[in-house]
Amino acid sequence: MVEYQGLYKTFDQPVLAGVDFAVERGETLAVVGPSGTGKSVLLKSTIGLITPDRGDVRINGESVFFSDARTLRRIRRKVGYVFQNAALFDSMTVFDNVSQGLPERELRKLRRGDLAVRVAEALEHVNLDPAQVMAKLPAELSGGMRKRVGLARAIVGRPEILLYDEPVTGLDPMNGAVIHRLISRLADEMGITSIVVTHEIEGALSIADRVAMLERGQIRFLGTPIEFEQSTQPLVRAFLDRDAALGVLEQV
Amino acid sequence: MEADGKLMQRPPAASGRTGSPGRRVLGALDAVGRGGRHVAQHAGQLGGLLWGIIIATLRGQVPLREVAAQAYWMGVLSLPIVIITAMLAGVVTSQQGGYQFTGGVPLYVLGSVVVSSIVLELGPVMTAIVLIGRVGARITAEFGTMKVSEQIDAMQSLGRDPVRVLAAPRVIAGILVVPILVGIADTVGVFAGMLTASATVGLGREAFFYGARLFWHDWDLLYSLAKGVAFGFAIPLIAIHMGFRTAGGAEGVGKATTSSVMFMTLTVLFLDAIFPPLLLN
Repeated sequence: MVEYQGLYKTFDQPVLAGVDFAVERGETLAVVGPSGTGKSVLLKSTIGLITPDRGDVRINGESVFFSDARTLRRIRRKVGYVFQNAALFDSMTVFDNVSQGLPERELRKLRRGDLAVRVAEALEHVNLDPAQVMAKLPAELSGGMRKRVGLARAIVGRPEILLYDEPVTGLDPMNGAVIHRLISRLADEMGITSIVVTHEIEGALSIADRVAMLERGQIRFLGTPIEFEQSTQPLVRAFLDRDAALGVLEQV
Repeated sequence: MEADGKLMQRPPAASGRTGSPGRRVLGALDAVGRGGRHVAQHAGQLGGLLWGIIIATLRGQVPLREVAAQAYWMGVLSLPIVIITAMLAGVVTSQQGGYQFTGGVPLYVLGSVVVSSIVLELGPVMTAIVLIGRVGARITAEFGTMKVSEQIDAMQSLGRDPVRVLAAPRVIAGILVVPILVGIADTVGVFAGMLTASATVGLGREAFFYGARLFWHDWDLLYSLAKGVAFGFAIPLIAIHMGFRTAGGAEGVGKATTSSVMFMTLTVLFLDAIFPPLLLN
């Protein structure tokens, strides 16, 4: 379970302004909202990559911001993070990149053969052929493949929670659909709690158990995809309906 | 607001300054405050980085394989450019010294001038300047790119500490390798100076080393290597610090690398300036 408790963060202007909600174990939550409303900041705050000015995040009851370094490392091992541009290590092969997803102690203990099996399993989970990609460098992969390698790196350590930052941004619709199916499948097969930050509303509604809408640093809507689609809130309608969006833009 | 509006519309004064004296003073104080905050930020972040490196080193958590890889890259792969630079420094010092001593000064003094110049100053400083370009700039660009492409965040999200895994090996390698490079640069520079003295003013090898021994102190060599340790510590530390501070995409990486080179050069020259009062008196 992930609990956001009164998160505030200001850079040049307030980005998070009192975010309070919880994501239940095994749930898939899509966080949607206009650009620059703090979605990525919220996601990075989840594992302490960004420190909020106020508030806390608790993962399975443990505080992210009031824990010592060792506890934070342990919390982070429970969480896989899929970055917007995959954030693969340029100088490492796909094999090395994915193996970095394992805890260091486990990585040291594993024999090369066992490690290769773990990496291959993770790659197969994301529909990649290990024999074809393991020896390649990230620069030799397409955008969709890089995202999937990033996903493989996030799941190889068998996390309880997966955080996705714009998982389909920059991908064509076909590759986007593949990634969305993967997110659903991983959540179902591995029982993973997922938080997906995205602009892509159609895909978000298809994979999410609940949708949260973040706007001006606050959660403006939290409900099921059906409730989201039926909502009469102008902001929600603007997100769902292009004509309504133009109306909101005109008001702005 | 109206007053502000009028101020905004007023053409610049002949001196190029605008506003009342009080406003100018406030502006100057504001600039000093911002500068002070900037310096304090750098100092605090550098201190935090250094502390992390010390803790990781004392706990034996630094990956030794990475230290070896960095030592090879900083040391062995820098050798050609360090040797060429030292050779040219020796050649120039010897030629200019030879030109100045064609008078009443005994020519063998040239040996002392070349050896002292190379060992006390040119060997360590020229090596450091070369390493700023070859090692420091690359570290900043590499770390800056990792920062803006979220690779540093990825590393943290995977439970790896970038200071322990990336920063500490580079600083340790710098401390170990740069004094050795300085020693090699000193040796090459002195021999290049000796050969040049022989070729240009006809000063033989024995006379050259006789002159060199006249004013030689064994401490000079330690002094030279100590400069190597200081530069080997400062260059990667600053390069890493500037890389970690990078923001704003490719342009940010370029800016960070330029600032880093300036910062490293000034630091090397500053350290070079404080070495004599600390260790030669």
